[in-house]
Amino acid sequence: MSDYAPVNLSAPDQIEFELNRRRLAAPAGTMLVDAAYAHGVEVPVFCYEPRLGGPIGACRMCLVHVEGMRGLQTACSTQVQPDMVVRSDTDEVRDAHDGVLELLLANHPLDCPVCDKGGECPLQDRTFKFGPGKTQFVEHKRHFPKPLDLSSLIALDRERCITCFRCVRFSQEVAEDGHLIMRERGGDSEIATFTGDHYTGRFTGNVIDLCPVGALTSVPYRFVARPWDIKNTPSVCGHCPVGCNLELTEHEGHVARVTGRPNPNYSVEEGWLCDKARFAYPEDRAPDRVRQPLIRDAAATREVAIEEAVEAAALLLGRDGPHAFLLGPGATVEEGFLAQELASGPCRGALVAQLGLGDAPALAGLRAAPAAQLDDIDRADLVVLVGGDPANQQPVVELRIRKAVRGGGRLVSAGPRRHPLSGLGPSYITPPGRLLDGVRAAGPAFRAARRPLVLWDEADLAHEPAAAAELAGLLGATRGARQLELGADVNGAGLSALGIPGAADLVAALEQGTITTLLTIHAQPAESAGAARWAEALGRVGAVVALASHGGGIADSAAVVLPAATHREQEGVYVSMAKRAQRLRPGAAPPGGAAPGWELLIALAHRLGAAPAYRSPAATFAAAAAARPALAGLSYDVIGELGALLHAAPPATTNGAVGGGGADGTGLPLVTTLRIFGDAAAHRSDALSGVRQGAEVVLGAGEAERRGLAGAAQVRLQSPHGACTLPLRVDPRCPDGAVHATLGVPGAGVERLLAVDRSPVRVEVTAA
Amino acid sequence: MSRAAALAGFRVTFSTMLRKPEVIGYPERKTPVFPRFRGRHRLWTHENGLEKCVGCSLCVAACPADCIRVVAEENTPERRVSAGERFAHIYEINMLRCIFCGYCELACPFDAITLEAEYEMSERERHAEIYTKEMLLAPHPKPVPVRAEEPDAE
Ligand code: SF4
Ligand code: SF4
Ligand code: FES
Repeated sequence: MSDYAPVNLSAPDQIEFELNRRRLAAPAGTMLVDAAYAHGVEVPVFCYEPRLGGPIGACRMCLVHVEGMRGLQTACSTQVQPDMVVRSDTDEVRDAHDGVLELLLANHPLDCPVCDKGGECPLQDRTFKFGPGKTQFVEHKRHFPKPLDLSSLIALDRERCITCFRCVRFSQEVAEDGHLIMRERGGDSEIATFTGDHYTGRFTGNVIDLCPVGALTSVPYRFVARPWDIKNTPSVCGHCPVGCNLELTEHEGHVARVTGRPNPNYSVEEGWLCDKARFAYPEDRAPDRVRQPLIRDAAATREVAIEEAVEAAALLLGRDGPHAFLLGPGATVEEGFLAQELASGPCRGALVAQLGLGDAPALAGLRAAPAAQLDDIDRADLVVLVGGDPANQQPVVELRIRKAVRGGGRLVSAGPRRHPLSGLGPSYITPPGRLLDGVRAAGPAFRAARRPLVLWDEADLAHEPAAAAELAGLLGATRGARQLELGADVNGAGLSALGIPGAADLVAALEQGTITTLLTIHAQPAESAGAARWAEALGRVGAVVALASHGGGIADSAAVVLPAATHREQEGVYVSMAKRAQRLRPGAAPPGGAAPGWELLIALAHRLGAAPAYRSPAATFAAAAAARPALAGLSYDVIGELGALLHAAPPATTNGAVGGGGADGTGLPLVTTLRIFGDAAAHRSDALSGVRQGAEVVLGAGEAERRGLAGAAQVRLQSPHGACTLPLRVDPRCPDGAVHATLGVPGAGVERLLAVDRSPVRVEVTAA
Repeated sequence: MSRAAALAGFRVTFSTMLRKPEVIGYPERKTPVFPRFRGRHRLWTHENGLEKCVGCSLCVAACPADCIRVVAEENTPERRVSAGERFAHIYEINMLRCIFCGYCELACPFDAITLEAEYEMSERERHAEIYTKEMLLAPHPKPVPVRAEEPDAE
């Protein structure tokens, strides 16, 4: 992790000071360590971590000499002052560094050879660079039994801890879960949880990156590889539309670890990752991974060579159309563009659609309002959260909101569900369809604020045009107000920028039985909203070709399965919910016969006799940027390490959620919720087996009483679209007037209750 | 060339001519190697039977020929293999690639691996040249005698 805060050396009000006989300048308020680092002088630190809040001066590693001040000063907690004269290279300072390191190592076991941090350890590196060659200590070091399981994901080795308080501060001041504490004092100090239970939460893995020694290490990565056996590749996360920047560690041909970037992207994730991003990578080697191309006919399923599978897919797509191409939310911009190119070339007339929400007309006004980036949340004095549940759906946004509130900002939330952030400020829980009331309630606070920021949930507002219009009006009427969309689909913004519409026409065409061949690209229609209708419609299509990374669903019945790389294994561009185009870079090669989607689609185009002029993802993206105004001016080089913003709005498309109609059906309105560890990725990853979440139905106590369900263990939900049966939890804090059910859990079937465009429904709840 | 110079040139020839020839009947007999000779590797165990190697892969990092592969695993109370927290679940050296530089021995923080005197490592198949942990833990079946001391030890 980068330990120093970025310093803007070209900011207007620079202060001049002297460091090691050099005349330098830095903005007022900069800490000495950061100013020095920006000018190429490394003052060693351990406890200092600007992302954790103010400095605490716990480790004394950063001592420097400041002229006119008695004794040495901690550079991590001293700001630069005009004409300050600082020395970090005197014998006195060197002696102090020696001494501090010798003390830090007094109790530190020298078990570097068996320590997972060894080789990428700040304590090791700094001892080498700044420390004494030998120690004067001959006494026994303290010993603890080791390692302890801090959780199913984190191993704790208390002997190695240098009590820098970074992990504790993360838990207390960033994630604000209050779990981690430093127990006892002095030589007995040890890291523990307050309750003595496991450290659980949505962001626990960050303490692994933060710990400057090997005291906190990853359990799934334990003893897997050493730093000289690995290759790290900067990429972005493909689990939600936030688009956190991360680093993929390759070992023996597969992704063996995911960490935050050593140089965080301060406009996006600020170096934090949620535990799903960090620990979902074992899904790349899950038992249901598609490793070989398959051809399936009435008699049998055969594993074939990739050429044969592409040939078979080309035969199916070479027949008389119309065909249809369905892109899943995780398809890259390149895959989307190649599908469009197929549809305008060899498969002329094919329908191209995305499984995600697509473009909802109700949201046009909101999207046209001035847009914000994630780091703008920090600076807002009022954050209005409309709909959604960022803690579970766009997890890292939670940390930004908490940071804004810690910094004195206010949070007002309105929406159909209670969520982990509801307690941070006034919260208006509105029944589905009545979000307008919540927006109106937040109005006065909004008008009173100077830099208000609206975070609005795409999925919730798509069906609440009145609330969306009210919100757009508020934004338009308030100077300095900005909005940030909480997107629903990983690359929904990227596919929309290409002009790919939602899937309403496509499913209707399938139902009419007119589609000859359906090609799905990272799509699982029968496990998405409207599952029941999709299942029915898929039965009427001539043939299915599935480009998929994992089995199950459509890959188990498709005539041809093309084994695809996951987002950790392929090159491509994702556009985040903040309209930031970012590059995926392959952390490892896909296993077995699998190949990146772009490669398979280009091969398919060749077989269909329409060889495109481009053969690489970079060239494909360049062609897409040239052809689609929303991507104008972008290229892999422009996107670079930190991403680039889309400037033009996406083209308007049809088929998105229309909204405005009342809820279908009878009974209670249905509120769907997502849980961070409840999706297919979390269920496939064996690392997450200890925290994985299932599906449930939640009813308020009053509602359960009224329906005679208080004692029921299982309930059946029936909507006009379908039905499912799930365990019931009665929660006194859950608002009455709606039934809450968990979406996205594989096999739970809540998707069956919904329409394809996720429009509101009512469900009958009965004991099962 | 003078006669004297020619005779001087033959001095060595004449002086060795009458000595008994020294022929060592290899492979039945082997010339003793010097103590610092670097031959086939050996992995060592402690007196209590635990392996010295903790699977730290430092030898892998040091190896210029990239011929060592270590896959570590964690010791458990039920299955304790080494004295440290981890042990080498797989330890392989590809003898065809090894250049017998001895860097692995230098890198090892636990003196777990050393280069020994044995040099007879030809096999009939290439894959048999990948020596496994079991092979390296056992003494080489074809021992080689070691000379008492260095030739010019002071
Ligand atoms: S466990 Fe690591 S991060 Fe936490 S106080 Fe100890 S050294 Fe610091
Ligand atoms: S032989 Fe030595 S250096 Fe190599 S893995 Fe084992 S303990 Fe480490
Ligand atoms: S870094 Fe300054 S006291 Fe720890």
